[in-house]
Amino acid sequence: MSLALILIVAFSGAIITYLAGKVSSKLRKTIAVVFSLALIPMIALLFGKNIETPLFEFLGLRLILRINNLAWIFAIAISILSSLSVIFSLIYMKGKEKVDFYYFMMLFINAAMIGIVFSGDLVSFFIFWEMMSWATFLLISYKRGPALAAGIKYIIMSIFGSMAMLIGILFILNTQGTLIISQLAGNINLSLYNTIFIMILFSVAFGVKNAILPFHAWLPPAHSEAPSPFSAILSGILIKMGTYGFILLLYVIVGVQKLLSLPGFTIVINILATVTIIFPTFVALIQEDAKKLLAWSTVAQAGYIILGIAFGTSLSVTGGIFHFINHATFKALLFLAIGAVEYRTNGVRDLNSLGGLIKQMPITFVAALIGACGLIGVPLTNGFVSKWFIYKSLILNKSPFLAFFALFGTWGTILYSFKLIHNIFLGQTPEKFKSIGRAPFSMQLPMIILSLAVIIFGIFPGLPLKAINSIVVSFGLESLNINLWGLASSTGALNTINIFTAISAGILLVWLLSKLGSKAKSVNQDDTYAAGTSVPQDRYHYTVEFYKPLYRVIRPYLKDIVDIFYTLLADWIKKISSKLRKIYNGYVGNYVMYIILFLAILIFVQLKWSLW
Amino acid sequence: MHISEIILSPLLALIVGVFFLGLSRKIMARIHWRYGPPITQPVIDIIRMFSQKSVSHGNLFNFGIIFSIAGSIAVVLFIPFGRIHPLSNSGGLLVILYIMLLAPLGIALSSGEAANPNSSIGISRKLLLTLGYEFSLLLILLALMTHYRTISITEIVALQQKGSWSLFRLPLVLPGIAYILILPAILGVRPFEISKAPQEISSGPMVEYGGTYLALAKIEHAFAIVIGISLFVNLFLGGANNLAFFFLKVLLVFILGIFINAVFPRLRTEQAIKYLFGIPAFLAFLGLVITVLI
Repeated sequence: MSLALILIVAFSGAIITYLAGKVSSKLRKTIAVVFSLALIPMIALLFGKNIETPLFEFLGLRLILRINNLAWIFAIAISILSSLSVIFSLIYMKGKEKVDFYYFMMLFINAAMIGIVFSGDLVSFFIFWEMMSWATFLLISYKRGPALAAGIKYIIMSIFGSMAMLIGILFILNTQGTLIISQLAGNINLSLYNTIFIMILFSVAFGVKNAILPFHAWLPPAHSEAPSPFSAILSGILIKMGTYGFILLLYVIVGVQKLLSLPGFTIVINILATVTIIFPTFVALIQEDAKKLLAWSTVAQAGYIILGIAFGTSLSVTGGIFHFINHATFKALLFLAIGAVEYRTNGVRDLNSLGGLIKQMPITFVAALIGACGLIGVPLTNGFVSKWFIYKSLILNKSPFLAFFALFGTWGTILYSFKLIHNIFLGQTPEKFKSIGRAPFSMQLPMIILSLAVIIFGIFPGLPLKAINSIVVSFGLESLNINLWGLASSTGALNTINIFTAISAGILLVWLLSKLGSKAKSVNQDDTYAAGTSVPQDRYHYTVEFYKPLYRVIRPYLKDIVDIFYTLLADWIKKISSKLRKIYNGYVGNYVMYIILFLAILIFVQLKWSLW
Repeated sequence: MHISEIILSPLLALIVGVFFLGLSRKIMARIHWRYGPPITQPVIDIIRMFSQKSVSHGNLFNFGIIFSIAGSIAVVLFIPFGRIHPLSNSGGLLVILYIMLLAPLGIALSSGEAANPNSSIGISRKLLLTLGYEFSLLLILLALMTHYRTISITEIVALQQKGSWSLFRLPLVLPGIAYILILPAILGVRPFEISKAPQEISSGPMVEYGGTYLALAKIEHAFAIVIGISLFVNLFLGGANNLAFFFLKVLLVFILGIFINAVFPRLRTEQAIKYLFGIPAFLAFLGLVITVLI
């Protein structure tokens, strides 16, 4: 299967879907699903291949497509997640405006992301990167209003990153004479300072996309304003293009040897990553909007991924890459579940006005619960295994403080995940939501598939870990002793199958024990004990200020200084621009006057001092 | 890993835990100048409750409590009791730390399905308390793992058997003291009884349980006590070579806990958090710094 063919299929899928939408909505849906599903087997067939094919010449530079294990893992994640998200959109987007445009952008972004990971040289990388960035902007601001503001915030930061990357690419071209990644790999020939210079430039670009502090400001509004299926893509995979960029930069272009000789750089990235874990976790805790909570949680989880990758041992890099896959599954799952709730409740995302939906939407609840467990890293979900890898590596390599912040972040995650689950699905059901129906099947299907992925990768982590191990080995890091059930090691092994057996045997045993007791009478959700009186229905769902005592302590510390700084900067630029408006006021007569005045000055200068 | 150990270890934990529940009522009564119930009272209660009527609010309500005990059983399999440690080679302290989540999570989900605000308040308090003591506990565990250079709990016990207890090793003294200071919060005894607070929120998460469910909740509580103390004994009091000696240490720590429980009133939630983020956190942090520097 040639790489160019896959890209052609991906991009033409977007265009054909758009055109089909002009004919009928049914045709558009069918084509969108067929094209996005078709990419999965095409990419899956490339597993384990190492191909590099030149495409054509562009401005004297050869454009190259290539695939290896690293690119394959990202590509397969993109194609699977995007098709699930397109399937979810079928009903979610029903009756909304500009649906043709929505599907076109959705498929176009996926094509561009596949392009990014297939790029064999930095020019095509940059081209696909920009395609993705701009298309993302259009889709974030799909709903207009606050969404447009969120989109503009995103695109400004994104352009800033892209420009930094462009400078970096030009610098590499000038000094190395080539932009082909496989030629650069490991033989980059630069002085220490120049290496650090290009690493900083690229880190800005990838840091913006990956929303590392202090470049995170665009992410929370963008994620919460975008349509839910696209939020799933945005959070699950699109920001991970930044992660891909980091891996490419640190382990392919610069290489492990050189990376280890500049410890200062990785230390800075590690510290930024831990700050990215801690701060957003506690900001997520005080959010009242379900999607905003998940958005901040995405920032925090991206911190784990970067921490794993930048820490630079084979354990941590394996954990980091695995956490990227896991985050793509459970965070997409959570966004889809929230999307389903949003669909059924006519767009309610406020965590204080929902509640008790477990009876109305049981499957959505189970999906959200599994997603939340993965996010926390409860054993038997995939999030546990990847975090375990990262922690172990941090502890054994004498970085207990990094490990502490990462672990403590997890406990913050427990608090906000439970708040999310509790406020939406548990407790009292408001009267107006008592009669809402289950999520439609086309929404349940993607959630079920993702839930299964979370659990299967949690019980048999060896399946993806073997592939990841081969990537890590190709970076020149040592190979790990991976089994189907985790890791064999003398400093503390992991055996998920034993954990699974122990817990399921426990459940069986206790279930049998509970059968011994007298049978319980089934009662209504609201039929509760309140010391003789009754709890008034529809009024006492304990949600507002769910962790009030803690909020009082942490709120003063949760000022997003970075965002405040950006807002001040934006205001300042606005002020300067409005001053400039007084000069450039749009009257042609004034402009003519400026030109004449300028010429008069020139003539005066020439007559007086005769400089020319 | 022997089959007999896998059966023995949860059974032992259950028996010891239920015995402790009875013992605690007896000691509390004596401190109050009462005679107190017989020490077998919890056993009688559990058997009685199994035969009593109960209500169920749905499938999650039923499953959550079962899941909670299953989680406790799994933790017990990972914690060494003397020489019995059936599964401790399948993951170290990090795994224990995470599986200990399952029990409270099960109860939280189970009681959440009933629309009783008291249980929601209780869960919210429980999670806050957990966040408070985990801050110190994580620092303490990291100090241990850094000091012994392993994440396996059996290794840590073995190294203490060769030398001295962690509590008396120079860099680990401060974390040890911090652990003792947060132990009442881990066990959920007064002054940290905020998540149950019977007089205030009708036992919090337990409010909807009756009959079989209450019996199961009691069993879960018994497990939780044994797990909480065993972890401390293994990590700081050197574990033990045989079962009798191990449970003797556990018993001593437990009696100490009952004394604290008997004399203190209950704190408010923000007071508890303020306390947990105060001295224990500071000591634990200092301990980790010293461990890293040495």
